[in-house]
Order: sequence, then C-alpha cells, then structure tokens
Amino acid sequence: MDPTVLAIWVVRLLFLGLLYAFLWAVVRVLVRDLRAAAREPATELGRLVVLDSPSGEPPNGSAFRLDAVTTLGRDVNNAIVLEDDFVSATHAALTYRGRAWYLEDFASTNGTFVNGHQVTGLVAVAFGDELQVGQVRLRLERPRA
Amino acid sequence: MTPEPTSGVAVPRSPGVPIERLTIRPRFRGRELGLLLVVGLTITVGSISLGATQRLAAAGDHAPAITALFAPADLGLLATYLAALFAAHALLVLSGRRTDQVILPTVGLLGGIGLLLMERLPQSLAGNLGGLAHTQLVWLLIGIAILSALALAVRNDAWLRRYKYTWAAVGVGLLLFTFVFGRDVNGARLSLAIGPVTGQPSELLKVILVVFFAGYLSENRPLLVEESTKLGPLRLPPLPYLAPMVAMLAIALGIVVVERDLGAAMLFFLVFLLLLYVATTRVSYAVIGVAAFIAGGAVLYELFGVVRDRVDIWLNPFSDATGAGYQVIQALHAFARGGILGTGFGNGLPTIAGRPPIPALHTDFPLAALGEELGLVGILAILGLYLVLIERGLRIAASAQDEFRALLAAGLSLVIGVQAFIIAAGNLKLIPLTGITLPFISYGGSSLLANSVIAGLLLALSDRPPEARAPTPPRSRVSRLLRRSG
Repeated sequence: MDPTVLAIWVVRLLFLGLLYAFLWAVVRVLVRDLRAAAREPATELGRLVVLDSPSGEPPNGSAFRLDAVTTLGRDVNNAIVLEDDFVSATHAALTYRGRAWYLEDFASTNGTFVNGHQVTGLVAVAFGDELQVGQVRLRLERPRA
Repeated sequence: MTPEPTSGVAVPRSPGVPIERLTIRPRFRGRELGLLLVVGLTITVGSISLGATQRLAAAGDHAPAITALFAPADLGLLATYLAALFAAHALLVLSGRRTDQVILPTVGLLGGIGLLLMERLPQSLAGNLGGLAHTQLVWLLIGIAILSALALAVRNDAWLRRYKYTWAAVGVGLLLFTFVFGRDVNGARLSLAIGPVTGQPSELLKVILVVFFAGYLSENRPLLVEESTKLGPLRLPPLPYLAPMVAMLAIALGIVVVERDLGAAMLFFLVFLLLLYVATTRVSYAVIGVAAFIAGGAVLYELFGVVRDRVDIWLNPFSDATGAGYQVIQALHAFARGGILGTGFGNGLPTIAGRPPIPALHTDFPLAALGEELGLVGILAILGLYLVLIERGLRIAASAQDEFRALLAAGLSLVIGVQAFIIAAGNLKLIPLTGITLPFISYGGSSLLANSVIAGLLLALSDRPPEARAPTPPRSRVSRLLRRSG
C-alpha cells in the first residue's frame, strides 16, 4: 500500500479516535459529577401521604415532607397533627436512623398499625408501607428527587 | 448559645433577597480547559485529514512532499474558530461564575465538525461572505459571542418568567409576520428577509415556546397535577388550566403547518408533551398526547399534499427514485458507502456536475454526509455528543433552585435533543423526512443563533449562587491531611 495513503488513513482513524477520547473525557466528568451529587444529603428524607382521614384534617391525598424525627398525634405540638378522636395527644413518632425509617408507638390508647399489624415498641418501616394511626391511614413514600 | 448580633430583631433583613456582590473573582475552570484542549486537537486533526485528502486528490500523479501534504485544510478558518472558543473560555473564567464546564466544549466540537463539513462541501452551495465555510464561520463566531454573553449576563430569570405572555405574543407575531412577508423556499414559507439578512423565525420561536411553557407550567403545576376532568371512565387533564398552553400550541402549530414547516411542528408538539410530562409526571398525559399526535397526523395526511408526499416517500422512496424519493435514496446510499469507518473527510460524495447529489446537504442532510465520510463510528460519536448535551440539561434541571428554572433547563435541552432526533431519524429513513436543521452542525444563521441562545441560557441556569452551596464540613480538612500523610 502507498505510504501516503496509509498515513492519511492513520490521520483519519486518529480523528475518529479523538472524537471518542473527548466523549470518554466528558463521561468521566459526568460520572464524577453524578457521584458527587449522590453523596450530597438529600433535602427530603421521605414523604407521608394521607390515604384516608375520616375527619378531613389532614385532608385525603395531602403529603408531608418528613424530617429525621417526625412526631404524630392530636396535640398541636406534633410535627404532623392528626385531628382524629381515636388518636392520642402524643401518639407515635417516625425516626430516620442510618438509612432506614423506624416507627415508635408512645403507648397510645388505640395503638399504631403497620400493614395491619400492631406496633409494640420500635419497628422498622419501609417505603410503601401503610400506617394506621387512630382512624387515619397513611403511606410512607420515598422522597421526591 | 449566644445569638448573632446581626440577626437580631432590631436589624431587619429580608432573607430571600441575596445581596449582590460587586467584586468579581476569576474562577479557574480546569475541566472546561482540558476538554477544550481535546476539542482543539480533534478539530485540528480533522482539518489535517481533510487537507491531506484534498491535496492528494488535487495533485494527481505527482505525489507532493509529505510535509506539504499534512497541513490543515484552511489554517485561517481553523485558527479563528479555535481562538474564539478559547476566548469564550477565558471570558467565562474571568466572570467567576460557577457555570457548567461541559456545555461549551461539547457545543464547540459539534460546531467544529460542522465547520469542517462546510469546508469540505462545494463553496458555491450557499453563503454570500466568501463561500459556504466562511459564512458558517461568521455565524459560529456570532453564536459563540451570544453564548458567552448570555452565560455572563443572565443572572436573573424574572424578565423571562414575568413576561411569558409577552414573549408568546412576540413569537406568534414573528410567525405571522413571516407568513405575510416571508419568501417561499421549496414550497415552504419559512424565511423572512429584513434588508440583507434572512432568517427563519421558527428557530427562534422554539426558544420562546419553551420559555412560555416553563413559565406557565411552573405557576400552575399543582392545579395540573391535582385536578382532573372526568369524561366517563377516562381521567383527562384539567382542561381549563391547560387551555392557555394548548391555545399557544395550537396557534404555533397552525401557523407552522400552514407555512408547511412540518419539522418545526413536530418539534413543538413533542417538546410540549415532554415538558407536560416532566412537570406533572402523569403518564396518561403522554399517552393522550401521542394519541392526539397520531390522530393529527392522520388528519394532516388527508388534508395536505405535502404531508402525504412525505409519508409516501418514507414508505417507499423507490417508487419515484429520480423525483420525490431522490434525496432520501441518495442519503441511504451515502450511509451505505460510508460503512463502519467511513471514507475519510473529503473522500466521499462524488459531485454530480459540480454539486453534491443531495440538494439540501448542508442544511437538512449533514448527517448523511458525515455518515459517508466518518462512517457508523463517527455518527455514533456525534449522537453521543447530543446525549451529553441532554444529560447536562437534565442535570441542571434536577439541581435547579426552583421549578421555573428546572422546567426551562429541561425544555431547552430537550429541544436540542428532539430536534437532533427528528432530523437524524429523517435522514436515516426511520421517520418521514421533515426539513429541520441538525443543531450546531447544519449550515444556517438562524439555527446556529437560536441554538447558541439555548446553550447560553443553559449555562446561565447552571450557575449556583454562592449562598446555596453546602457549607464545607470541618472534617474535610482533617481527611485531606490524612490523605496527604497516608
């Protein structure tokens, strides 16, 4: 093969190679950026959606952003106030520990239920679990990005 | 805990209004510089590849000296373009903003590939500033200037957000003006001539539409998500709250369809649907929209001869291989000739009587030319560059401070992505061909300027104000010391 033609082919392939070198460099930057973003603490840890609330306070379908410690009860000093006759003043608390949510019942009169099972003491709850506090049914959902 | 003296009740401070700092401190942009160096090297090698191929073909039997052979095709063009890119980088460094560092190099590489393609095509194809490549270079320089100006100057989005209806009115006005005073090119009335400058307002309208949609959706998102109109078992979107957007879309689509700018019509509609989905995350809206799209397409097929022609050519281009199906078939041949590695820059496209076989090669079919000369490998890399732009845009959207900025960033990057998809898929006969430009690569001032505005706005939106940055945790210094010692 003619060396000149061969040399031109080398240059052509070098151009194509450089296109991919650029893409590779960019993807490295993107991956590093995404990793850094994943390390940043999320502003929201979880959401609590009201499925059914006979008293209308909180209204059905409303959602609460959850802090690391969220107390539930009828008393106005709770993070989430549930206006329901079957809810105790200080009923239960959701806490975020490490990477999981935990529910604790504060010896309430009518109890707290996770997916139909009554809670005694501290139990782990997962996203998608259904909680019942008094007559109010709630669902724990993952945070919105 | 002792209270801070400045945050007492006696000194009222509005926490929402950040205090503008007037001192501008340059910020080193290492990633951007590194990527730009790769871009510069790539375009230079591409130019040498083109130059060598052209010189060898021109020399005929007498093989020229190897040093004379391997030189850039047009050193002046190359140097000017690269100098402009690095000047833009220097401006961004001096401005000291924390803007995205990937967009400028990516756009620069796409523009450079386009410039090489224009150098390679017959110079008499278009352009009145000394040929195709020189005209394209002028537009690229103006585009880079607009991009850096927007990235430097846009610090506030209120002028976009607050006057969204005004912007919408301006966009519709531009289109109407084009319809009345525009010129017909290839049966479509797209371009508007003001003195010596001709432009295609639909390119600018796509930016305006995204601004309007983002402004409207960010204001009315809760209504659109919570409410819904019920029609029997169907849950439709809340029609009253959608009405302004649908009306705007209908006006834009109507005018564009009457002007027979089908590519723009498709682009507007798809971007509208995508933004609606991004804002509401309702799959049902997307399904209804796609159904409406198919129904609308069927109606247009019956009503307009242009649409029928395009679809028929798409289904069977070989039924009229020398007439209507000609350019589609030539494009397919070009892709086939290119194969996997391509023929090399300057080596493809035997011209027929001094003109390339595809008439609108520099505007509508640049991907076919690149597919022939760079092959499948090259095309995949170019599509990868568009993916990078989309990823950056969506990333900027995800980390935006408010919904307007998020929707605007998502919409702007999706416009580029959808437009690249429409024309690339059209060139490859995946969907019916509609005349629209390949962003940053195609020849044409309006397209380059509109896309530069988009890239500049994305850069501006990616800026994070200093106070929004997370405070540096104290352990970082310790860990740095540990790393240094270990």
